[in-house]
Amino acid sequence: MKRLSPTRLGIAVFAVGLLLYPLVFTNPFYLDIGVTFLLAAISASAWNIVGGYAGQISVGHSMFFGLGAYAPLLFYQLLGWPPMAGIPIGIAASVVLAIIIGMPTFRLTGHYFSMATIAVAELIRIFTGTWDFVGAAIGLQGPATARGWWDLTFRGETPYYYIFLGVLAALLFITHTIERRRFGYYLRAIKARERAARSLGVPVLQIKMQALMLSAIFTSLAGSLYAIKTGFIDPESGFGILVSVQMVIIAALGGAGTLFGPVFGALILIPLQSATNTWFGGGGSGLTYILYGGIIVLIARFEPGGLFELWHRVIAKYRSRRDAA
Amino acid sequence: MDRSWMKSAAAVAACLLLFGARPAGAADAVKIGIIWPLTGNAAAAGQASKAAAEVAADIVNNAHPELGDLPLAKTAGLPNLGGAKLELVFADHQGNPSLAQQLATRLITQDKVNVLMGAYQSSCSFTATAVAERYGVPFMVGESAALNITGRGFKWVFRGTPIASDYARTYMRFFADMKQQGKKIDSIAIVNENTDYGTSVADAIAEEAKKANIPVAIRIPYSASSTDVSAQVLQLKEKRPDVVIFISYTADSILYMKTLKNLDYKPPMIIGDDTGFSDPSFIPAVADIAQGVMNRSAWAIGKPGSVTYKINEMYKAKTGRDLDDTSARNMQSFFALADAINRAGSTDPEKIRVALTETDLKPEQLMMGYQGVKFDHTGQNILASTYLIQLHGKAYDLVWPEKAATAQLQWPMAGWAK
Repeated sequence: MKRLSPTRLGIAVFAVGLLLYPLVFTNPFYLDIGVTFLLAAISASAWNIVGGYAGQISVGHSMFFGLGAYAPLLFYQLLGWPPMAGIPIGIAASVVLAIIIGMPTFRLTGHYFSMATIAVAELIRIFTGTWDFVGAAIGLQGPATARGWWDLTFRGETPYYYIFLGVLAALLFITHTIERRRFGYYLRAIKARERAARSLGVPVLQIKMQALMLSAIFTSLAGSLYAIKTGFIDPESGFGILVSVQMVIIAALGGAGTLFGPVFGALILIPLQSATNTWFGGGGSGLTYILYGGIIVLIARFEPGGLFELWHRVIAKYRSRRDAA
Repeated sequence: MDRSWMKSAAAVAACLLLFGARPAGAADAVKIGIIWPLTGNAAAAGQASKAAAEVAADIVNNAHPELGDLPLAKTAGLPNLGGAKLELVFADHQGNPSLAQQLATRLITQDKVNVLMGAYQSSCSFTATAVAERYGVPFMVGESAALNITGRGFKWVFRGTPIASDYARTYMRFFADMKQQGKKIDSIAIVNENTDYGTSVADAIAEEAKKANIPVAIRIPYSASSTDVSAQVLQLKEKRPDVVIFISYTADSILYMKTLKNLDYKPPMIIGDDTGFSDPSFIPAVADIAQGVMNRSAWAIGKPGSVTYKINEMYKAKTGRDLDDTSARNMQSFFALADAINRAGSTDPEKIRVALTETDLKPEQLMMGYQGVKFDHTGQNILASTYLIQLHGKAYDLVWPEKAATAQLQWPMAGWAK
């Protein structure tokens, strides 16, 4: 009976759309928006594991993003390695950082956890900005022109697009798998009520830690992809608070704690950002932010569960109509 | 169900189409894409520079015979392109390097600009110039300080503004001139805030001083957030240098002036490297005790009736403010770019690039106190330099070089003496 539910069909159409996008929109600017969308979707989906499913609202995820972004360019500048080689180092560093951060902060709950994560990320940002070894306030650059394909420095955007799409697909697949396993149920139990979960025998601290580590791995990977694509990283674009906030906003907008919520949020927010900036940015009146912020406020007011809920409502309505028929 | 996914597909398509359509400009206009921070932290600088670029475009596009030797002022439009006008397309990168990269791509591929200019913050210049280099579009860096924006082996990137080493060389030329006039400059001291800005400028000064054979008695790096600098001032007092150069932000430069007075140590001359000494709050805070302090500025309004004075009047009519050093440097880079496009006689990027490499503007063709505009093989303007100004009463006066000076240099400085 479950041949092709509307949700599945929607996902299939969406996936095909993403695969074909670069073939339809060959203009580099549209491609760049596509790549930016994928990157935002990856970061927000990574945040979603700990922020959405486990309900631990981290506003300091830029610490993992920044580590992931710095590692490839640092090893390129120091030793001339292809930036790609720095990715696993960034990931390893992020996992270690996740453990160091998680141990004390996971004893905090609610706002206190959020505040602690902001503080750590800000500390790292300030520290990076004064440390010469990592380029201090000026930042680090990648290869200006590729020495070979392994530098992943492409003239066009299409290769980035498919690399990013692959990473997003892998991340969503892993999240989907987790969702249906014991680990996923534990996460939702913790989100619903931590004390109740603990009394039912959920190893709360351990589960939260595992979620944070998994989240850190993919956030770090997102950072690496960003740095390799942009070819430049500085403290603000790596560890800045806006990096963290964007992940939270996108996930919340689409629907935190759902598989496709963050992807959906990015699909709305990134084109909106680019469009408002294209139309009004040149005037310099700040209208970009007003429109952008206004739309976020509207969504928060009328669809607080995220836009993905709207989709579910539409489906439910369709189903009830079909059943009635 | 068909309808629901068709609707969402239509919505996505609509979203994407929205970026497209922009009205096409006049066929013969030359499009200059300009990427600046028009919102965010550095919005003030970006907005001021935007107004300056608009004044510059007005000067090029309309006949302004009153502006003397300034290239392209006399004629309307670009004579070698049949009087083509310049059309400016502004984009706001918000201080975000990744956005600057995207906007450079947009301006090149969507708006089809002929040349690019920007991007104020060095971080944004790094990423935006890399895009221009990939697409083979000339990029004029109007004003970004980081040394290695030029010198990365890029063919398409040019920078009109002076950088730290240019300022350092100007100081040394000033010292040589002073020595000739019989002033005693046996040693200098460098006091710098210890982040990137202070360190890189101090390094450049130390290097040029070595070349000029002027001993650096002491270098004192400090943290700009210090609340007490008496230890540093005591160090200075012990060495008794003839000139102290400060590379400082605002609060710390004010603190230094106050501490110097409190500890009653007045060096013969103090030079502040722009930034803190140019901050609007510096003069009201310490004018009484810092008389004769020197500072740098490549821009001077000049005497009434002069070209710079008239440019300033145009800018003032538009914004209500005097033109500042940063915007003026951007404006000069803009003129150099317009001049190259005119000499290229074409909107072909390669021809414009070649024309840029052949740029040779003389001091009398400039609005700034440079010795000219001429780009070396890395794209850096090798003739960029700056004026030196001195605090007299409640305002800075241009005192060096002498031929441009509007006031007499005071040496040694008076400080807090009446």
